[in-house]
Amino acid sequence: MKPVAFEYERPADIRSALALIGRNGPITKILAGGQSLGPMLNLRLVRPELVVDITRIPQLKSVEQSADAITVGACVTHADIEDGRVPDVTQGALPSVARNIAYRAVRNRGTLGGSLAHADPAADWVSALAAIGAVALIASSTGQRAIAVEDLMSGVFETVLGQAEILEAIRIPRLSVRARWGYYKISRKTGEFAHAIGAVLDDPERGVCRAVIGAIEAKPIVLADARPLFRNRVGADLEASFDMEVAEDLLRSAGLADPVVRQIHLAALRRAATKASHGHRLHHH
Amino acid sequence: MAAQGVGASVLRKEDDRFLKGRGQFVADIRLAGMKEVSFVRSPLAHAKIIGETIPDEDRPSVFVATDLRSVKPIRANSGLPGFKSSDQPVLAHDKVRYVGELLAACVAPTRAEAEDLGERVAFDFDELPAVHDMLQARRSGTALLHEHWGDNVFLETFVDVNIEAAFDAPVKVTREIRTARQCMAPIEGRGAVAVWDHRLGQLTLYTSAQMPHINRTGLSECLGIDHGQVRVVAPDVGGGFGYKGILLAEEVCLGWLAMRLGHPVRWIEDRREHLTANANCREHHYIITGYADRDGRLRGIDCEATVDSGAYSAYPFSACLEAAQVASILPGPYDFPSYRCRTWSAATNKCPILPYRGVARTGVCFALELVLDAIAREAGLEPAEVRARNLVRPEQMPFDNITKKHFDSGDYPESLRRAVAAIDLAGVRERQKRGEVDGRRIGLGMSIYCEQAAHGTSVYAGWGIPMVPGYEQATARVTPDGGLELRVGIQSHGQSLETTLAQVANEILGIDIAKIKVVHGDTEYTPYSTGTWGSRCIVMAGGAVARASQEIAERLRVIGANLLQADPEAVTLKGGQLVGPQAAVSIGEIARTWYLRPQDLPYGVHTGGLEATVGYRPERDSGTFSYATHAAVVAVDPEIGEVEILDYVVIEDGGKLINPMVVEGQIYGGLAQGIGTALYEEMPFDASGQPLASTFSDYLLPGPTEVPAARIDHMETLSPYTVFGQKGLGEGGAIAPPAAIANAVNDALSGLAVEITQSPITPRRVLEAIGAHTIERASAPGGQAR
Amino acid sequence: MATVSITINGIGVEAEVEARTHLADFIREHRNLTGTHLGCEHGVCGACTVLIDGAPARSCITYAVACDGASITTVEGLEDDVSAELRDAFSREHALQCGYCTPGMLVSARDAVLRLPEPDDREIRVLLSGNLCRCTGYVGIVRAVKSVVADRRARGIAPADASGNPLGPVGSAHPAGRLTGGARGGRTTHVSAPLAVSARRDSRPLEEWRPQVTIEQRFIVHHPPEVVWAFLGRPEEVAACLPGAKLVGTPTENYIEGLLRVRAGPIAAEFAGSAEIERDVSHYAGMIRGRGKDNRSGSATRGEIAYKLSPEAGGGATRVDVTVGYTLTGMLAQFSRSGLIRDVANRLTAAFATNLEARLANGSLNQLPPVSAAELNVVTLVMSVVRDRIGRLLRRMLGQRKGT
Ligand SMILES: Cc1cc2nc3c(=O)[nH]c(=O)nc-3n(C[C@H](O)[C@H](O)[C@H](O)COP(=O)(O)OP(=O)(O)OC[C@H]3O[C@@H](n4cnc5c(N)ncnc54)[C@H](O)[C@@H]3O)c2cc1C
Ligand code: FES
Ligand code: FES
Repeated sequence: MKPVAFEYERPADIRSALALIGRNGPITKILAGGQSLGPMLNLRLVRPELVVDITRIPQLKSVEQSADAITVGACVTHADIEDGRVPDVTQGALPSVARNIAYRAVRNRGTLGGSLAHADPAADWVSALAAIGAVALIASSTGQRAIAVEDLMSGVFETVLGQAEILEAIRIPRLSVRARWGYYKISRKTGEFAHAIGAVLDDPERGVCRAVIGAIEAKPIVLADARPLFRNRVGADLEASFDMEVAEDLLRSAGLADPVVRQIHLAALRRAATKASHGHRLHHH
Repeated sequence: MAAQGVGASVLRKEDDRFLKGRGQFVADIRLAGMKEVSFVRSPLAHAKIIGETIPDEDRPSVFVATDLRSVKPIRANSGLPGFKSSDQPVLAHDKVRYVGELLAACVAPTRAEAEDLGERVAFDFDELPAVHDMLQARRSGTALLHEHWGDNVFLETFVDVNIEAAFDAPVKVTREIRTARQCMAPIEGRGAVAVWDHRLGQLTLYTSAQMPHINRTGLSECLGIDHGQVRVVAPDVGGGFGYKGILLAEEVCLGWLAMRLGHPVRWIEDRREHLTANANCREHHYIITGYADRDGRLRGIDCEATVDSGAYSAYPFSACLEAAQVASILPGPYDFPSYRCRTWSAATNKCPILPYRGVARTGVCFALELVLDAIAREAGLEPAEVRARNLVRPEQMPFDNITKKHFDSGDYPESLRRAVAAIDLAGVRERQKRGEVDGRRIGLGMSIYCEQAAHGTSVYAGWGIPMVPGYEQATARVTPDGGLELRVGIQSHGQSLETTLAQVANEILGIDIAKIKVVHGDTEYTPYSTGTWGSRCIVMAGGAVARASQEIAERLRVIGANLLQADPEAVTLKGGQLVGPQAAVSIGEIARTWYLRPQDLPYGVHTGGLEATVGYRPERDSGTFSYATHAAVVAVDPEIGEVEILDYVVIEDGGKLINPMVVEGQIYGGLAQGIGTALYEEMPFDASGQPLASTFSDYLLPGPTEVPAARIDHMETLSPYTVFGQKGLGEGGAIAPPAAIANAVNDALSGLAVEITQSPITPRRVLEAIGAHTIERASAPGGQAR
Repeated sequence: MATVSITINGIGVEAEVEARTHLADFIREHRNLTGTHLGCEHGVCGACTVLIDGAPARSCITYAVACDGASITTVEGLEDDVSAELRDAFSREHALQCGYCTPGMLVSARDAVLRLPEPDDREIRVLLSGNLCRCTGYVGIVRAVKSVVADRRARGIAPADASGNPLGPVGSAHPAGRLTGGARGGRTTHVSAPLAVSARRDSRPLEEWRPQVTIEQRFIVHHPPEVVWAFLGRPEEVAACLPGAKLVGTPTENYIEGLLRVRAGPIAAEFAGSAEIERDVSHYAGMIRGRGKDNRSGSATRGEIAYKLSPEAGGGATRVDVTVGYTLTGMLAQFSRSGLIRDVANRLTAAFATNLEARLANGSLNQLPPVSAAELNVVTLVMSVVRDRIGRLLRRMLGQRKGT
């Protein structure tokens, strides 16, 4: 179980990195923490000719705060979020998600950018950052573009990132103090990838009510306006207003034919709503 | 010196090296000039091999079946009538019979390069229909694995003890029960380093193995060289659980490569190979009927059992190691008058089935204990009551059961009583009536098993596999400084025998265990032994060490009496000293005299000296019977199918415990594996025989959060047949949990009139059983913030 | 080969490594520090856990080149008080049996002791959950950790504070530097795998084979059946409808050879193979039976596409019923989440139908240049459909429920 032979480059800045991945010719893979790419390399499922390690690029590990958001470099790790090394603007929401990704030894290297770019539907950030309304900042040799995290993933293991693009940073909105957050991950054991994810964010002050149904073996279902899920009641008791039928309809129209799969996704979403309702967001998982 | 003998929980002698990272496992061995081997394996379950393409420049480093013409296939026949023989080629030719079967060996300086090489080798196949399921295998008209057999059955067995007498029983329940195919998954896989020593004219195979002498015999047969030309060394071994008791085709191939190439070669099994190509076990199917009276008294058990044996008969335990045992052990610890059982060892296009902790017992216990609970439900009785009514009673001991198993000792009803009290049956029933605020359902389940261990010649002779255990030997040798070396043919890979065998010798000789060295795992240094399997070591190797120590004690007495100028009858060994009427002399002093100052002893004092090899076999070798009652309380979340173990109790009787700390470790470890069997572990195959789990993300092992801290209580009913009354118990922890947990889940779901009869009990199986459409929307607030 | 400098257990080493050598192999094979064990090489079991710049990380999925400049501590180098206390506690609590998981377990246990303030059993278990032990059932391990933490807190030793650590993957907090030697030089040239499988015909009766996955599609094309039938008789055209497909050699009416390149994100496979075509004009029914093999992953697929044309709208249009059946074997099939891979195959089929429809519907059939069989993005294609459906549903709900 050893990878195929490949070349390795470790650029010091984004420009060199872009130049390397933009070269025509070798099959190139970007390497961040390697916690998803590593297993695939070892299994020879991925067979690059050139690996470009972007983790030594200072810019990708920097953090910038503004009044309404924080912009976090793509190479910031799950543990950086978990430990609060990145200032938390989400009332504890993201640290609690981070704490339940994989295992500590994996979180010490796995990155936000790698998670989003890898686009495993069962991964946590794919759903959680979409639910929180984060924006992906993408660098290419011609400049930067910004797209909502929910539009980054296009399918299983697929994103809209071009071969010559790097996911540079993630802009995470600052939630208001009264924001309510619920995240529920169903997996068979600790640290395992999710079999179902439900996420709910209700932040009336910012006029935001979002929900995500994730880990559906396709890109997550993102409700940018999740009010129908709560019978359109503003400031509702999210638990009491949760409309099972609307959720069920969503799952059906997303093509989830298996009733068992639908059921656990419904449960995850409803439990996320319950958590949001009960203020489980702080320092719980 | 604190007590170190039999019964003391002394800390382990082996810990130090492991805690410092200084263990020596097979992958840690690097020899000068060594190259790495990677195997090309069959991607198909069943196919004719048409030919292979190897680039010319690679040809010298790639070896295929035609290169290994001189090597004999691996053959493990059983002497049971009707057993059909299979030949497992070391490298496949003509045909492949399972995904992962070896096709070619590639040799290169590093493993990565060896794998590169393997990718350049291509085989052409004509695919054949795959036999992917054991029941399909039994059907006529199915493709044949071994054409000349005419069917796909290694062996069919049948017993009938007056089953008709049970047919009029008022309570009758029939269940179809299945256990998943599993992987043993020690954290260290297999692996081997082979080197030919020109000076000694000997092949040395370092291998991650638990039965090194058997590997040696198998290697010598397959390679066609004398035993004297083979040395097998099992260094530190990272867990075995049965998997490492098998002769692998890879080992034979490595031996051949070392002889052919003249330089050392190494192959380390990676996890993908382990899961998809080698380490398969269990997978039973039962149709079982229990007959009982209204009061729960069992009238009879009628069963048809099929075991998926895979493609070949593995050496030395054979392809019928599970199925052929099922018939004899199904009755478990219960006494009932009628019994019928038919078994099939079915050949399928999967890798051969190998022994795993508990062997057939885990499946058998699952089947029988589920049926007992079904009887209890049918008769409206408390399951514990049904068990109490049928358990073998202490006053019946020793007891021969319906299949002629000879129970040596024990008080089974007492272990049940203690379990009922410890798990607080009454309290749980109360709690169930109240219901849970979080909407989960609570259930309590029990299971009881007995574990026949260290059974010997009389039992295995009838089975007639390539290996029948006889006398177990140990060599004890006092060193000139008064220390002791013990040489045993078993292998210790977690069982702590470097400590417990030293305790046995300490009990007899009083030598500080710090000065006792247990040598094991090397055929060059140790007496022949079938090795570590069947929970036999503490009885057999422990017995042999006791006998050898007694022999040494006797000689110390004779030689020492001379030094004390006392009558040998008047001296006794006490606390590492020989004490005479007037004076005492230390063992060290006696040894020094014997080895270095023989002039101080008269001529011919005891020519055997201070080294003795003694064989041991209990005069009744039908085995010891340890047993336990396991009781579990679980919470089932009917919305998402999740099962959480809330409480777990084990009441165990292992006879005399040589080291209680070690015994508890065995129980906790077995329990974790049993929980894996119950809830997580499954090696699925698709209809074309493709294994569907190739990583630990697909094949789930229980981790720290999936295993509860069980409570253990001991009973110590001595075995009348062993040296200290000890019984073998290494496997028991893994036998009972699937049944106890399944019974608990079924108890939890009983209000829904739902029963699960298949392991592992995955969320999907729970939800499918409940019926996914009946969503329980009434779950309480808060979900489960765990 | 690249030259890396790494400090291992306090000793600086410079070494030449292949870029593909993971840190565990580097430590074990190059430095002969064999205390670090491998149990899975895909990040799950934890046996290989070491400290990289002081924090636990998997050495099996971290490459040695990526640790240039970093400082590694293996079990052999765990020499602080905590580790000594843990060793005693592990022995006392019987926290190891075979000892294989122990080195990685100690590294994680040390992390637990250092960072968790006053953990209960559950917190300890969660922190250790990335380390599998097959022997002990974890009971002794949890007890050992618990006793060491309790003892240290009782002695007034506070938990460690990690808030000042640099951001980013552990081991990356060093200048990018120049890779001396350049990883470039070392790449061994690939000898490309022998391509196709000799195009042998299957000797077995076809009835014996049953596909594992069957997908049915039906669509209407606004051309009469004869036209559609003729189109389907031209292998180049048909191949052009299958994303990633490329014909090799000269196709005949009933036999083709070619390549099919499929991708699921980073995973790519190239199946080389052949297909036989049978056409029954009297029923307007056809059958394509093919098989292909991706040698590098040892995976193979076999499939059949059956189609049948029926007249619609009085013969001016054609209903096409397509049934695709296939079986996947080998490496790519051997995951429990191979649902993901199968998903790709399903989508490939859907794309085929869509393209076929599009090409047929697309005006003058005869003039169409063969579309270059670009590698699909079937996933995107299908997802956009799903997304539309969900969008419609939501719009509908929002509309309906307004004001309620
Ligand atoms: C045992 C185990 C359990 C896990 N469990 C979970 C879990 O429960 N939940 C979960 O969410 N994750 C889990 N993971 C995955 C983990 O979170 C990974 O760290 C993460 O998905 C990938 O991050 P990385 O930095 O390691 O990326 P890498 O592995 O380095 O890269 C992943 C992919 O993204 C690309 N890439 C990386 N960075 C960029 C960038 N900035 N721009 C463009 N492309 C980029 C790479 O080319 C590659 O294709 C688990 C991993 C392991 C090993
Ligand atoms: S070997 Fe690295 S996690 Fe298993
Ligand atoms: S002690 Fe054997 S794996 Fe943990």
